[in-house]
Amino acid sequence: MKLVIDESRCKGCNLCVLVCPYGIFGEGTELNSRGIVSPVLDRPERCTNCRLQALYGRMLCGVCQMICPDQAISWTDEKPFEPHRVEVEF
Amino acid sequence: MIAPDWFREDRLPHIYCTGCGNGTVINCTLAAVEEMGWKRNETAFVSGIGCSSRAPGYILTDSLHTTHGRALAFATGVKMAKPDLNVVVFTGDGDLAAIGGNHFIHACRRNVDMTVVCMNNQIYGMTGGQGSPTTPLGAFSTTTPYGASEPAFDLAELAVAAGANYVARWTSYHVKELTKAVVTGMQAPGLAFIEVRTQCPTNYGRHNKLRRVPDMIEYLRSHAMLVDKYNRLTAEGKPVPDGIFTVGELVRRSRPAMGVKR
Repeated sequence: MKLVIDESRCKGCNLCVLVCPYGIFGEGTELNSRGIVSPVLDRPERCTNCRLQALYGRMLCGVCQMICPDQAISWTDEKPFEPHRVEVEF
Repeated sequence: MIAPDWFREDRLPHIYCTGCGNGTVINCTLAAVEEMGWKRNETAFVSGIGCSSRAPGYILTDSLHTTHGRALAFATGVKMAKPDLNVVVFTGDGDLAAIGGNHFIHACRRNVDMTVVCMNNQIYGMTGGQGSPTTPLGAFSTTTPYGASEPAFDLAELAVAAGANYVARWTSYHVKELTKAVVTGMQAPGLAFIEVRTQCPTNYGRHNKLRRVPDMIEYLRSHAMLVDKYNRLTAEGKPVPDGIFTVGELVRRSRPAMGVKR
């Protein structure tokens, strides 16, 4: 699973920065196209929900999604990792 | 987003200001509704006037957006006409405590079977930050520029005294506890009253040196005290710090209720 912030809904209140126990969210610095500084994600694959939601079959932690007043945080499915051959040219 | 099939996604993003706690309360209530497994055609949301009362407009069920302060009166009518409906009332402090105080105590006295979620942001947010009956002593607002000189209403204690069956108070910081409290309130027969202290950085925080959203949440978190701890401190005769409000389940009892589903 992949953690995503919906930029069309986020209003930049930084409540997720306050509550995340892993410190995944950080205060952003750049304005987006709507003129809002939305948080940036720091290595979101550390999120327990990203790693273990499929294994446990239920929501784990999920405090950022609960406290987000703008319903902007969600988890989406991503394609499973496929190993592929890398050719190195000399 | 939580409970995606209960949100009216074409209406989002909502009109609430940056960092408003009302969105969090909607999340928690809808998570509780989903946990209860209620069907959409047997649930009705009722609200009055104010910031908090915009909430049913973002929820995909039948809803009543009623006159100022009369949300509980309308909800009583809905419950009496159709006792099979699950009625949830969203209301604010200005709606419930100021203009609708009379309806509130009588709904508690009659113990009508519904869930009342009060988003208490301690100010009249929508009209420009006037002092409400729950503005704490000494807090600044546009109508109390030298600090509020009147003591504030304690809504949860008022509901306990008026006879509600389940009364709890949490803040918008305590999301998991709040969801559990709303679920318990929905399961309990009779009137369940859940007061939620929410942050209003735009109109309350701006006048009270809590302009940033995390400051306001930190204020709520540090001034909340579990009701067990409060009772222990007062029983031991130890001093309770100023400005503290109790959080937790204040009462759960089984007075005869009105309009319970047959």
